[in-house]
Amino acid sequence: MALIKIDQVSISRGGKSVIEQFSATIEPGKITAIIGPNGSGKSTLLSAIAGDLPIGAGEITFDGRNLKEISVAEQSALRSVVLQNRNYWLSYSTRELIEMGQGPDELLRVDAVMQALDMKRFENQSVTTLSGGEAQRIEIARALIRDTPIYLLDEPLSAQDVASKARIIALLKGLRDKGKTILVIAHIDKNSLTWCDQIIDTLAQ
Amino acid sequence: MKKALPLIFLLPIIAIAALSLGATDVSELFRYLFNPWLNPESASHQIIWQIRAPRVGAAILVGAALGIAGSLAQSSTNNPLADPAILGTSAGAALGVLLGVLTNVVTIGSIGAVVCAAIGAMAATVLTFSLARSALQLITIGIGVSAILNAVVGLTLSAVNRPDARSISFWSFGSLSLVTTKTLYVLLPVLIIGAVIAWKSAPTLDLLSLGDASVRHIGHNAQRVRFRAFAILAVLVAVTVSSVGAIAFLALAAPHIARYLCGPRNRVLVIYSGLVGAMILLIADTAARALIPPFELPIGLLTSLIGAPILIATLKKSGDVWR
Repeated sequence: MALIKIDQVSISRGGKSVIEQFSATIEPGKITAIIGPNGSGKSTLLSAIAGDLPIGAGEITFDGRNLKEISVAEQSALRSVVLQNRNYWLSYSTRELIEMGQGPDELLRVDAVMQALDMKRFENQSVTTLSGGEAQRIEIARALIRDTPIYLLDEPLSAQDVASKARIIALLKGLRDKGKTILVIAHIDKNSLTWCDQIIDTLAQ
Repeated sequence: MKKALPLIFLLPIIAIAALSLGATDVSELFRYLFNPWLNPESASHQIIWQIRAPRVGAAILVGAALGIAGSLAQSSTNNPLADPAILGTSAGAALGVLLGVLTNVVTIGSIGAVVCAAIGAMAATVLTFSLARSALQLITIGIGVSAILNAVVGLTLSAVNRPDARSISFWSFGSLSLVTTKTLYVLLPVLIIGAVIAWKSAPTLDLLSLGDASVRHIGHNAQRVRFRAFAILAVLVAVTVSSVGAIAFLALAAPHIARYLCGPRNRVLVIYSGLVGAMILLIADTAARALIPPFELPIGLLTSLIGAPILIATLKKSGDVWR
């Protein structure tokens, strides 16, 4: 179980303020969605929680520990991250890319996760020839083979068809039922987020 | 992978052909080649063992070093446009050697020149590295750093007025004609050490294709991996630039051709980039000295003329489309 607290956080990028004094609590063992229109700072916020972006003011804590004081290696054991918009120019195979840099325990789960995400048909195909949705599932698979208390996903369903969406949602629910904390960045349409337990609107603050 | 295997056998064949070609005909090449102590006073022995063999050896070693340096540049920046010339490394090495020679501290081809080149290459690479704020900026800032350093080298060369100015200028355009056996003693150990370290760090280089954030997410430090690659690259480039000058295009083209042959995994890519680089430079240098003897053609133009069509052909065959 892991609780993420975002307390009065402000972030600016290239001199422009993207997020101002934003606060939220991401409950442990739940699926939380952060929604908001384009440019409202959702992805910036996720990058900050993932430890990729320095925050200007305020603090982000994981179970009461300030994110700034958690080392890169420790963060890696705490959370898995799915980023969006991947462009691959090197012709690694789907499987090679999923397995890249993963530890022995993760490698044992590759087959099951690929199966669950319907990726077996293109496991040996070059990633440069995949569709947007297929390439996005590589990112998702890389995160899901890892066993961490927290999962951070930036618009994981944006390029997926109906069947894939259902598969991914089922996997995320399964993780939640095991007590994992799941944070999803999503577009504004609240009605399609019935599978989430908590919704945070960036515009509401 | 299967496509790449014949390359290993091709290199010795090209090397033997290169030994037999040149301004003077060599009689009984194989007898002298397989009996290095046969009749050392004869013209054939001297041409093969004193003139051609060191040059063939240098072409192979320099080509391999540049091919490996190119693969390190492209993998560490995660960018198909990268090469040591674009990152500022080559220009830094050239400026280092030039300053060393003009202050009479070293002569071209000496170990001292390698040290000067290494200092210049490192300094320029570190400059590019410290100014860049992203993998893409390594390329754009590197182009800027290269342009400045190349301008300084060019202006200095045109202002030089001393007896060895001609050979300095000859070196600056890239040429293997100044190579001696001594050059090989410097090239060989540096290449072996550089290649082994590059090969050892290859699996971490693979990670960089995920992008820096994803590398960090699984607990690795992309900048550290990248800096190590840059350090090896700088030393490899330094040893080539100090001994034969800056040779165009090879470091850019060799990794692309190798990737077409053996795929993107860096463990294999490092080896094949070296092989492809060695072969292209050996063919280019043999053409440079044997096409219209006794004149020497500029090697950089020949590496472009031979490497570019192969590069274009492999890129066409790999089947990318406009998107």
